[in-house]
This record gives sequence, structure tokens and C-alpha cells, in this order.
Amino acid sequence: MRASALISLIVVMLMLWFLVQQSWPYWQHYGLGSFVSGDWYPYESLFGLAAAIIGSFWAALIALAIAIPTGLAAAVMSSEILSGPWRNLIRGSMELLAGIPSVVYGLLGLWLLLPFLQSSLHLLTGHNLLAAGLLLSVMILPTIMVMAQDALSEVSASQRDAAASLGMGWSARLWRILLPQAWPGIRSGILLALGRALGETMAVMLVVGSMDRIPEPFYNLLSPAQTLTSRIGREIGESAFGSMHFSALMACGLLLALVTIAISLLAHMHTDSARAT
Amino acid sequence: MKRTHYLILTLAILLFGAQAQEVSAITLHAAGSTTVLPVVSTAATVYHQQHPDVTITVSGGGSGVGIASMIQHTAEIGMASREIDEEEATKLKDKVDVLTIAKDAVAVVVSKAVYVGGVHQLSLKQIADIYRGKIKNWKALGGPDAQIFVIDKEASRGTRHVFAEAVLGDAHARAAGASVISGSNNEEQALVAHSNQAIGMLSNAWLNDAVRGIAVGEGSKAVLPDIQHVRDGSYPISRNLHVLLPKNAPDEARDFGRFLLSKQGQTIVKKSGYLSVR
Repeated sequence: MRASALISLIVVMLMLWFLVQQSWPYWQHYGLGSFVSGDWYPYESLFGLAAAIIGSFWAALIALAIAIPTGLAAAVMSSEILSGPWRNLIRGSMELLAGIPSVVYGLLGLWLLLPFLQSSLHLLTGHNLLAAGLLLSVMILPTIMVMAQDALSEVSASQRDAAASLGMGWSARLWRILLPQAWPGIRSGILLALGRALGETMAVMLVVGSMDRIPEPFYNLLSPAQTLTSRIGREIGESAFGSMHFSALMACGLLLALVTIAISLLAHMHTDSARAT
Repeated sequence: MKRTHYLILTLAILLFGAQAQEVSAITLHAAGSTTVLPVVSTAATVYHQQHPDVTITVSGGGSGVGIASMIQHTAEIGMASREIDEEEATKLKDKVDVLTIAKDAVAVVVSKAVYVGGVHQLSLKQIADIYRGKIKNWKALGGPDAQIFVIDKEASRGTRHVFAEAVLGDAHARAAGASVISGSNNEEQALVAHSNQAIGMLSNAWLNDAVRGIAVGEGSKAVLPDIQHVRDGSYPISRNLHVLLPKNAPDEARDFGRFLLSKQGQTIVKKSGYLSVR
């Protein structure tokens, strides 16, 4: 146990060290100003990160905005209301969703979602942040739902009995007892899902449009955009190892790694504190 | 029960034997341009039939990736649909042989609806204006009243390189009018086919009913992107298709290079829709 934990810690540290080392020329040359600039033209030595950061932010936010309510609703439904086979059906289909490779989601998005968005919203193209967010929401739904269901089922019988004996109605029981009691687990699920949404590459790359442009206005979710992951996916093959372009892509990678590590640490901290109480 | 054991044992021996044989064979990897890919991929299959001990796996990524794979030694065979630029040449230090195996045209393609709507030809200046964002509606070009869906390609793509050089004057020129970035020829083809108002760039071998190539040039001098006009040099956006072989490549890779230039290889080039060089 301890050895494997140590090994994974070493792997994470090595990975971070590699990313820092490889992106160092970039940080040294462009500094923190690169966060403000949206211009990314590798052949003109312009490597602004803003467009991709904003893109990643929006895609993840849309995904959470959809997946949290639906995931929670599915969890409540299957752990509190349905019984037996129906519960298993929902749980099983969620686990199935989680097992589908991301490139399959991407291709489905390409074939079904993009033409649908294009025709129903009268857009020039369905490639945009909304498409990426919608696709991501389906991909992170299982994480949120399964973790929430587990957390709900751990709410003790005595709590439920107490609530019932106080004559609390169903909605009061849900909002005052069940959800608050299960919240630490739900929160961990949301944070893990956020990590996945930020790190997802293949599916996003296929539908986001890969335009290195800050949306105008910045909340225009219907314009083709770029995320940190799709940029790395699109460009890593051509960038020569050791070049400034490569270094800049590694900087994108470092940023993603730091954010997702922070998120998963946060998720674990919450789970641990929840167990302690 | 015992019988199944024997069966499993026999299977295991067979499998192991097959694997042992595999070790003596050689696998080569080709990477790069998705324009060159159909030729190399078909040729690899034919070559494998003739030389069962040589397996060639083929993957895309774009010319930039093909050339980078030569610099970083991640493939034995590189594919590129553009010339090697100065910076890459410095990194390659003459360690790679460039075999020109075919020629093709980079067609300026439009969606079927645009073609049917009346846009059959454009001048280089008009195309440049579209990609720079100065012309935004097909109506201005004699087409339907629809916004132009401008498809640009990843910077690493040979097609982008050749197109931008011919149309915008610089291989890495910005295209402010672009609405979306695509990657491989397949992706580009699908984007154009799924739209009613798109313009894009695509090798002439990838044209079809939904993806129409238009003539390029002024007035009556406009030229269609076909093999004939690549051969006589009149189509303005044509190019050479290359296979790259490191000077220290295995003999099998060099032999595959010779195969591509042989009569049989060149027949595959023609069947793929490109102009043969021999």
C-alpha cells in the first residue's frame, strides 16, 4: 500500500518536474504577461494563453451547469425513489456511459450534435464552446451521479427515521437532511468531474473549432474557440522538441496539471474531513 | 477436458510460433501528410504482399508532423505535401533524402450549394479577401445570399502551407476571416460537405459531389484544379508530394521508396488521383 502510494507520488512529481523544466524557457521569455494576451501565432512567436484559458473555463462551466443538476436528480431518483431493477438500470447505464472512450463521444458529437446545433440555432458552424460543454456534460455526468448516489446511500437510517418521525415532508427531507448530509461526497464528485472536464482532449478537440481567438463578447458561447487541451492535441505533433512552441505547449500542460491536481487535492481534503466528522 | 488442454497447448504453440516468426520480420512506420497517406498506405499493402516480412504502418498528422518525425527519429518514413522550410532544413542537416513521388493541385473547394448557386471560379485576390475577412457573403461573389463559412487548416498541414503561400503570400500568414480550423483531409472534406456555405482547401483527389473544386484565376483565364492543369503547370496552387527517408534508414525502407517510384508504385499514385512523376 505505502509503496504504491509512494510510487504514484514519485510519478506525479516527475511529471510536474518535466513540465516545469520543459516550459521554463517559455515562462522565462514571456512571463506572466502571456496570461493576458489572446494572440497565439506560433510562426510569429506569439504565444498568448488567454484564448485557450477562457475556452477551457467556459467549456468546463457549461458542462458542470448541466451535469450537476441532472446528475444529482438521477442520483436522488435512483437512491431514494426507485427500487431494485430500475435503480440498477440507471446505475448500470451510468457506468456504461463512463466506459465509452472519449473519441467515440467526439465522433458522435461531430455527426449528431454539430449538425443539430448548426441547423437549430442557424449558425455558420456547430463547432463552438456550447458543443464542447454539452459533450463534456454527458461525459462527466456518470462521475457526479455515481458519487452522489453513493453519498446519499450512506446517509444513515437513524437520520432518515428521525426526519420521518418529525413528520418532515419529502422535499424538506431531501433539502434539509439528505442533500446536506451527503454534500461532502457530492462535492468530491463534482470536483473530480471538473478535473475530467478540464483535462478531456479528444472529444473537445473534435467539436470546439480550434480557433485561437477570445470569444467576442467574451461570453459568446456560440463562436468556435480553443481549449488548452485541444491546442496541445492539435499542435504537439508538429512542434519540435525543445523549441519555444513546444515549450509554450508544455506551459499549457503545466497549467492544466496544476489546476487538476489542486482540484483533486481539494476533493480528497473534503472527503477526508467528511470521514473525520 | 484433457482434449481442451491439448487444444489450448496447440494454440499457444501456434501463437508463440507466429510471434517468434514476427520477431525476424521488420515493421516500418510512416507518418505525416494525409494527402500522401492514401498512396503510401495502398503501396504498403501491395508491398507487404510481395515482401511478407516487411510490415509498414501508416499514420497521418500532417506534413509538419511528418517532417518533425524525421527530426525526432520517430518514424522511418516521412510523408510531406510541401517543401521542407529553412528552419526544418537546418534541423535535418541533410540527413534525409526527399523523394518526390507525385504532384497534385490544392483545390479551392466550396459546398455544393455555393457551386450550384453560381460560384464556379474565383481569382486569387478574391480568395485572399475571403480568408482575410474582407469578403463575408457569397452574394458579393455572384453566389447565394449566405455568410461565407471559411475553413482554415492547422498550421502544421502541408495543404495550408502551400495554399497560404500561393493565396496570402506567406505560408504562415494569418487568416483573420477563418471561422474554424480543421485538420486532416477527411475532416476538411466532412466540414465542407456538411455545410451549405463553406470554402476550404483540399487536395484535388478528395473532391466529390458535395465538395466541389472551383476554377482559380481571373476571368476566362481561370483554371480548374485537375491533373491536366497540374501537368501543364497552369494551375496556380500545385505542389509536389514527397516521401522522406533518413539517410540511415533500414534497407527495407529504401526499397519501399524505390517501389513507390516504380511502375507499380506510380500506378497507385495515378489511381489515388494524383499526377505520377514517371
